[in-house]
Amino acid sequence: MNPADMQLGLPSPEQLKGYRIWDSYFTPAWSHPGADGSSGLLTDIERSLPAIRKGQFEKLCYFPHVGTGTTNDAAYEALARSRPEVILKPVERWPDLLLGMIQLNAHNVPASLDAINRWLRDGPMLGVYFPGGGPGAMTCTHSNFSPLVERVAELNGVIMQHTWFKTGGKQGPGESTPSELAELSARYPQQKFVCAHGGGEWERGIRAVRSSPNILVETSGFDATAGFIEMAVRDIGAERIIFGSHLPSRSLGTELGKVIGADISERDKKLILGENFRNLLRPSVKAAEHTPRGRE
Amino acid sequence: MMHRRKVLSLGISAGVASALLPTRARSADDEQTGFRIIDTNISLFRWPFRRLPLDDPDALVKKLRSLGIAQAWAGSFEGILHRDIAGVNQRLADACRNRAELIPVGSINPELPDWEHDLRNCTEEHNMPGIRLHPNYHGYTLDDPRFSRVVELASSAGRFIQIAAAMEDTRTQQALVQVPDVNLAPLVKLMRVMPGARVQILNHNLRPPLLLQLGETPGVFFDTSRVDGTDGVPQLVHSVPPGRVLFGSHAPFLIPEAALIRVHESGVLDEASLRTVLSENAGQLFGNTAV
Repeated sequence: MNPADMQLGLPSPEQLKGYRIWDSYFTPAWSHPGADGSSGLLTDIERSLPAIRKGQFEKLCYFPHVGTGTTNDAAYEALARSRPEVILKPVERWPDLLLGMIQLNAHNVPASLDAINRWLRDGPMLGVYFPGGGPGAMTCTHSNFSPLVERVAELNGVIMQHTWFKTGGKQGPGESTPSELAELSARYPQQKFVCAHGGGEWERGIRAVRSSPNILVETSGFDATAGFIEMAVRDIGAERIIFGSHLPSRSLGTELGKVIGADISERDKKLILGENFRNLLRPSVKAAEHTPRGRE
Repeated sequence: MMHRRKVLSLGISAGVASALLPTRARSADDEQTGFRIIDTNISLFRWPFRRLPLDDPDALVKKLRSLGIAQAWAGSFEGILHRDIAGVNQRLADACRNRAELIPVGSINPELPDWEHDLRNCTEEHNMPGIRLHPNYHGYTLDDPRFSRVVELASSAGRFIQIAAAMEDTRTQQALVQVPDVNLAPLVKLMRVMPGARVQILNHNLRPPLLLQLGETPGVFFDTSRVDGTDGVPQLVHSVPPGRVLFGSHAPFLIPEAALIRVHESGVLDEASLRTVLSENAGQLFGNTAV
């Protein structure tokens, strides 16, 4: 037995390939990419490659810090603004594997608008991510979100919001709950939003976004608790669920296991593991094809 | 009493894991791995706060079989909150009796009067090879004299002890039943005066330095059920002495596929290490259990 060939707990490689897995939530070097802007990222991506290969992933979407103040490192923030080319190193090294959405800091609206123009309008990033912790975290019902959401919507970008319902309360004042995302999404019914982590405590999270048809639920970031996917498919439909791996801080087992181990149809697994995310990205990719610089 | 075939299969020497296994047709996964997988951490019956897709024992056993898991050590979710522990353990023993893959691990709550009677039931009536404790749900700490008495009595009866460090992420608990993870630090000191005791920590998320201290403590074993990160299991294996890490899934609360994939997904563990984690180390914990 070659450990690299072991498939314990997994479908066959052919079946995994058939799912056409697109990972919407890849988190290498999550809080900081490394002092040079990329070394930590590259190391963590390499660390994830065995699992990526074993899972037969086609694409993974990561979330670079682009100098809007989403890290606590002033030197890095300055570097990201003055030498944006360092941000592109991962996508240059793995152009066929990686997609990106930039992290935004809603506390700094001008810098975030500049970043949206620089990275979405001009490419190659496909959307934005609003964090739940760190200096960039702000509750998504704040009025600062309006100009940012409106600009992303103009560019047909994807909006992903970190969400958790934590027993005992928020980890910080800037964290957002699925209920707060539902409130934001109601103001922009034509814009799609992604409820990252399904709220963590997913029994409440799914309920909170159930009546918000423009919210999709992302699956990563908590233990592989049984019943999550089944409840989500029952309450919001498989078309509103997108897979995330949270690699490498979480694992292929925890995150892919939620979907492949769920008691749902193969068709629904295929939607969740890739098709829905591709559909969500389609307007963004299409818009990019009409920009001067284009996007990958 | 446990089924005779199962009793015979449990009468093993340390490290002889194959003798521990019930007779069963080899599955495709046996063929893939070349060994038979032992899950040291499952539970039967209903999780108190939601229905689980596999909370029917037959459905759970069917799933475990499909994944190539040859044997599973089963506690009871009822043991967390019920106070009629004798009834809990009777139902557990009954459920395991005719399911060859399941080994019952009885619950003990030393907060309850005459818990020693429950322990005797586990060892003498049901012939269980070990017991499972939930100190956080039962309201005692590991420096409580009642805990050391449980370890002493169970060990003198030749049984292993499983401590569930947690049952779920504290961030997702029911708001009116918030239970912190078990503080495992007192175990380091206790185990020094309990030679021969064998304690497995379940559902933990241990980090250095306590992980290393517990790893250096003879008789302490670890399961893999909540060890996350793409290379989390290999890191755990390499952080503690050989033989201490045992596969556990925490099914059906957690999806069993998740734990299985995590063991091998990084490609870091070689074949020998995979064999020890998934199969042979269970025999180390079982030791010379006299059942």
